Amino acid sequence: MALTIRGLSKTYPNGVVALKNLSLSIGNNMFGLLGPNGAGKSSLMRTIATLQEPDAGSIDLDGINVLTQKDAVRRILGYLPQEFGVYPKLSATDMLNHLAILKGVAVVAERKEMVEALLQQTNLWQVRKKALSTFSGGMKQRFGIAQALLANPRLIIVDEPTAGLDPAERNRFLNLLSSIGRDITVILSTHIVDDVRELCSRMAVIAAGKVLLEGSPAEALTALDGQIWSRIVATDDELRGLESQFQIVSTHLVSGQHEIRVFSASSPGTAFRAVPPGLEDVYFLTLSRNNKN
Amino acid sequence: MAMLWEFFSFELRFRAKSLSTYVYFLIWLAFSFFCVASESFGPVANTNGKILLNGPWANSFQDAYALLFGIIVIAAIFGTSILRDFQRDTYQIVFTKPISKFAYLGGRWAGSFVTTVFAFSGLMVGTFLGTLAPWADHARIAPNQAWWYLQPFLSIVVIQIFYIGSLFFAVAALSRKILVVYLQGVALFILYVIGITVFSATRSLEHFWSGVLDPIGVLMVDRLTRYWSVVERNSQLLPWNFSGYSPGVFLYNRLLWTAVGVAALISVWAMFPMSVEALTARSQGKRAAKARQQEAEESRPVRSRVVATLPRVRQIFGTATIFAQYWSLTRLRIRIITREIPFWGIAGLMVAFAVNNGYFAGRVGGVDVWPVTYLMLQAVEGSATLFFVIVAALYAAELIWRERDNRFDGIHDALPIGGTTDWLSKLTAIVFVELVLLTLAMLVGMLMQTVLGYYHYEVLQYLKELYVVTLPQVLGTAMLALFVQTMVSNKFIGHGIVIGVVVLQPILFNFGWENTLYLPGAVPPYIYSDMNGYGHFVPALFWATCYWSAIFALLGVVSIAFARRGAEVSLRARAALARRAARRLAPAGALLLLLAAGSGAWYYYNAHVLNEYLTADDRRRLQADYERDFKRYEHLPQPKVTAVDASINIYPEHRSFDGTGRYTLQNKGTQPISQIHLTDQHEAVSNVRFDRPFHLQSRAPRDAYAIYALEQPLAPGEVMTLTFSVSHATHGFRDGNELAQLAYNGTFFDAEFFPGVGYDPSVELDDPRRRREQHLGPLEEMAHRGDPVESRANLFTPNSDWITYHTVVSTSDDQIAIAPGYLQREWHQDGRHFFEYSMGSTHILDFYAYLSGRYEVRKEIYASPSGPINLEVYYDPAHGYDVDDMLACTRAGLDYYQAHYSPYQFRQFRIIEFPRYRTFAQSFSNTVPFSEAIGFITRLRKPTDVDLTYFVTAHELAHQWWGHQLVGGRVEGSNMMSETLAQYSAYMVIQHKYGKDYMHRVLRYFLDRYLRGRAGEVRHEPPLALVQREPYVWYEKGGQIMYTLADYVGEEQIDRALSDFLMQYRYANAANQVDAADSTDRSGAVQQPYPDTRQLVEALRAHTPPELQYLIDDGFNRIVLYDNKALSANSKRLPDGRYEVRLEVQARKVQADGNGVETPMPLADYIDIGVFKGLKDEEQPLYMRREKITQEHQTFTIVVNERPTRAGIDPYNKLIDRIPDDNMIDVGRE
Repeated sequence: MALTIRGLSKTYPNGVVALKNLSLSIGNNMFGLLGPNGAGKSSLMRTIATLQEPDAGSIDLDGINVLTQKDAVRRILGYLPQEFGVYPKLSATDMLNHLAILKGVAVVAERKEMVEALLQQTNLWQVRKKALSTFSGGMKQRFGIAQALLANPRLIIVDEPTAGLDPAERNRFLNLLSSIGRDITVILSTHIVDDVRELCSRMAVIAAGKVLLEGSPAEALTALDGQIWSRIVATDDELRGLESQFQIVSTHLVSGQHEIRVFSASSPGTAFRAVPPGLEDVYFLTLSRNNKN
Repeated sequence: MAMLWEFFSFELRFRAKSLSTYVYFLIWLAFSFFCVASESFGPVANTNGKILLNGPWANSFQDAYALLFGIIVIAAIFGTSILRDFQRDTYQIVFTKPISKFAYLGGRWAGSFVTTVFAFSGLMVGTFLGTLAPWADHARIAPNQAWWYLQPFLSIVVIQIFYIGSLFFAVAALSRKILVVYLQGVALFILYVIGITVFSATRSLEHFWSGVLDPIGVLMVDRLTRYWSVVERNSQLLPWNFSGYSPGVFLYNRLLWTAVGVAALISVWAMFPMSVEALTARSQGKRAAKARQQEAEESRPVRSRVVATLPRVRQIFGTATIFAQYWSLTRLRIRIITREIPFWGIAGLMVAFAVNNGYFAGRVGGVDVWPVTYLMLQAVEGSATLFFVIVAALYAAELIWRERDNRFDGIHDALPIGGTTDWLSKLTAIVFVELVLLTLAMLVGMLMQTVLGYYHYEVLQYLKELYVVTLPQVLGTAMLALFVQTMVSNKFIGHGIVIGVVVLQPILFNFGWENTLYLPGAVPPYIYSDMNGYGHFVPALFWATCYWSAIFALLGVVSIAFARRGAEVSLRARAALARRAARRLAPAGALLLLLAAGSGAWYYYNAHVLNEYLTADDRRRLQADYERDFKRYEHLPQPKVTAVDASINIYPEHRSFDGTGRYTLQNKGTQPISQIHLTDQHEAVSNVRFDRPFHLQSRAPRDAYAIYALEQPLAPGEVMTLTFSVSHATHGFRDGNELAQLAYNGTFFDAEFFPGVGYDPSVELDDPRRRREQHLGPLEEMAHRGDPVESRANLFTPNSDWITYHTVVSTSDDQIAIAPGYLQREWHQDGRHFFEYSMGSTHILDFYAYLSGRYEVRKEIYASPSGPINLEVYYDPAHGYDVDDMLACTRAGLDYYQAHYSPYQFRQFRIIEFPRYRTFAQSFSNTVPFSEAIGFITRLRKPTDVDLTYFVTAHELAHQWWGHQLVGGRVEGSNMMSETLAQYSAYMVIQHKYGKDYMHRVLRYFLDRYLRGRAGEVRHEPPLALVQREPYVWYEKGGQIMYTLADYVGEEQIDRALSDFLMQYRYANAANQVDAADSTDRSGAVQQPYPDTRQLVEALRAHTPPELQYLIDDGFNRIVLYDNKALSANSKRLPDGRYEVRLEVQARKVQADGNGVETPMPLADYIDIGVFKGLKDEEQPLYMRREKITQEHQTFTIVVNERPTRAGIDPYNKLIDRIPDDNMIDVGRE
């Protein structure tokens, strides 16, 4: 599976530019999409998931024209939208079974086996007969994951899949995804940088409808090796002073005090100590560079 | 208080900025504007054409009617005002401020109230503007009077806004659910409409509680004003006191509902929690907590963290999968619908109404009949149709929006399913729901038939009506709604459009837009008949259904192309996607387009090319043209028809007939006649020939009127013959307006297809409103009694006095053909069935009919003093119920009429059933066609039931005397000499069978019809002896006057008077004519006057004692109304064990003029005073005495043997009294 996106542009009727001549190549692997709110991640994913028409550009999936041969895409697609609801008064089993039929899993025994396996995997087995509408947010999200994985999809698009999951469930899901994501294309959008770090072999950072960075997380980290410095700042005045002096990547609160991270080719001063770069640094730096341009 | 003002003014400012406030105002303005400016619009349009459009009654009724629809507006304004904070989540901010509950609720409520009153004031503005419209009918617009606007507005609109609004406000405030707010208005509206439908199905005469309890007022206004004359409607407002014919109903109603409104406000103030949680939250909260607990237990993570590999499955995409997808989607959608409460609520409500209406299916016009399947279907389907349509529109919207409403669209839209599959499954889900409802209706129908003791289940008829006729129409609505909901951006806008399309149809129809081909989803009207099934309606019904189904399915194809899928929801984006889908959908679209065009073209060819297409307005214009062009010939001397000989061939299977006829014409005037004028109403006449040289002088378009000039005038007394051909061929089908006279089984047409000599005034329009539309003057009044010309003309057939009649009629081999006359010969020839009938030399009216059908025949010979009489009933094999009753009545009637009036002039009497396309019975000479709807399914369940068959049979039989022996002149009053006397004769026959107490019920029933009839009078009400065209006078009033006269004077006396009168005046002008062309006797042929009501009244007067002479004057020459009332009644037990009753009564008497203006009359009348035992409506008399009453108030002391329960004045309602209920009251104890 290889997904080739070329020159994708989309402007909404209200004038908001969602995608600006965006091109990407996504291979047979886990592909992470990082970007701030409104960057165009969801627009991009909806377009790949056949739910939205671009103004211009093309998407090719192993010879399938995604924009015109939608049905062919839908047959091999597993899609988890960022936000979704459920029908009232239907159980998880019934709903998954129904969706499996719609996805062409025609053999009853196979369907049953798949539905049961997914309920087990998403830890919904005990509540499989309960109405979906009574599910909590996390349970609903797990149901969403289960339905996206029905019928062994070869293209999986998951939009913020770990939102609303508790840490244990998040790990479970990432495990599950990585176990099936060997020979297929998985596109995962998230604002949790750790998801990408843990899971993805390739990633892209998107902002304002453009790709700011594309590569493997490891490469991106290597590029920053030795250039991230950290320091604890006690007062707001001090922070203000440093802000004008250095390129601050991020600040965190640690026990009520600011820990700032600064990007610098050489040591910015003795108060700073060198720290190993994180993917978050890559992300913030990419964004702030884009802002400056 | 300042805080209250703050909330109030905020609410007002908010509403003043809101567009909807002005939209509501404009809606009401437009509504009432058109009510006045266009006569065909609104509730007053279809009532009496003399009612002022801006008069007090019109304003009151319009206000009540507007409020019916206004429920939804009131709900929208009041509901949203209190819900706004919860909808926008501002309540957390508002409630944390130090505000009082009173100020918060009061301000919101008062603001809404003022806003709503403002919106509805558009009603007054609209009416006012309407009166200024130059094109309006200013004959019906009076100078504007402010109080006529304000009183109804204050007492109906404002009060109603108060309590309905308060109710909705309370419900909204306490439930805090947006859905409840949106639905409560619609729910109340639907419940009310259905409730009214159900109530009117019972045809109850009850008018106190039904008026008091009516929350909206439509029924209340009807109850209050049902007997109001035109003058009262144009001058009186609904009374704010205890006056009028339903004393206090209006006041009680307003007080009751105002109290309900106050109670609603108090409860909302007491119960409204100024907190985040709704009132209902506590119980919900408990349930939620329990659920949470369970969930916590169940979702404890499973320990194993090993990820098992998912199994491999195969995906198969092919036809089988498409079907599996379709089926799975459909099942899911059905499950969601059936698992929700609304569906069961709708189904339950529908069943409840169907059970109720089904129970009354066996009751038509106050008469018990067998609940045959068409009646049961009418009952269970009639009330359910609204449900079918609502369900179609509702679920179409739900199904279109469900994925989006549930936010499941992200997943759903990316599934590999085709748009067509998705759409079809939605449609199928609606089909399923509708099938459930239709099947429920069928089951309820059969259940109620069983309950009512009718076991002849016609399952096939149920299936045809519900699944073949109704289902496609309902699905049309569903497909339309699916389409509309697909195209619009909001569910509620969609609902509005769908409702608009449905509601618009009858309005457009009223405006003369009657064409089935452009009224969305319309089918031409049809009537099922047991005799004829769906008969000739089938092709039109089939093609119209085909046409609209194809169009709606085509909209379905468009819906598929435009379906919302994914994030592209703007219409432009979807249009682009639709273009891409077009190629795939084009074949289906083209096929449907072809089907629509084909069936539409075929329909058009039939309705507009093969047949002439005429709207109701076109037909009225033709009538008006006829009157305008030819009325001047009305009094032109013409020869009289004296003999008819016709040979007619009926082809029932083609709904056609042809034949030839010969009239013998004699000049019975004193001047020679040189022109013969012929009216041909149905373009059925051709080959007109006279037995002497003639030429056609002129012929009107459509052959409506032709004038032939005779080369040699017809001298006075001279006789000649006219021969002609007559035929009518049915081609294809029409867009409604099928001739009821022609049917595959049950043909029944009369002489209207034959040439009529001279001008035919029965063609004239009689509704003044319609006459004004056609710019005709007022309808000509009938001539006064003694008019030299008109009193010499026969009332029924002005261009004939009496005829002799001979005919040969043939029909298809399996049918029997009937015409007046004695059967001479019956034979089969060339696969057809021939009958020859002749009246010999017996004179009959120039009034005959031809009937043909597949009949079962019951014959018997009745030995009467004048010789044997053949009694025959021709009926549908399924309708044998009443045949014995008809024969029994005929025997009883012949006995009574021969003994009391005169001998029967014929040797046979035949009753023949015809399809219920027309619902009457009509008396031809010795031959009575009787509609299957009124006579053949009557059923007597209780001894108190009105025996309609017996009654109608006796009435029609009596016409053999009153109408066929005695005929009046063509002057005012004459009509009562046939109809009133037939009605009276029938009362006597009924009374002999059932007794006097039974007559009480019959009279009550007919009194209501008289009083309603005079309230609907469009011209002016005449006294009985001067009646012209007023059936309510000659039937209901006349019958009552004659019955009471006989009761007061004595049946023997009255019958002797009638007999004397009959023997003196019957067969007027029969002796002065020749009956056949070969006769040479031309002597003494000068026309003599016919009798009129002066002679009848004098005959009755001669047999009435002096002290009761006032009854003759009041009854025949005046319009007199009584207001009798029992004021109090108390009894005490006397020492001897008897009871003394003290009864205080009131009696009043007024005379009304033709417009209903009343003047008091002095009282010196004999009125029954009675004391009864037993419960109300089952009274048995203990004491009954006719007293002379001269005072308005009088007290009687009466001693009776048993304990009295009821007492009163005129207890049997023998006198005409607009409040018949208060004549009796319960007897109290001292």
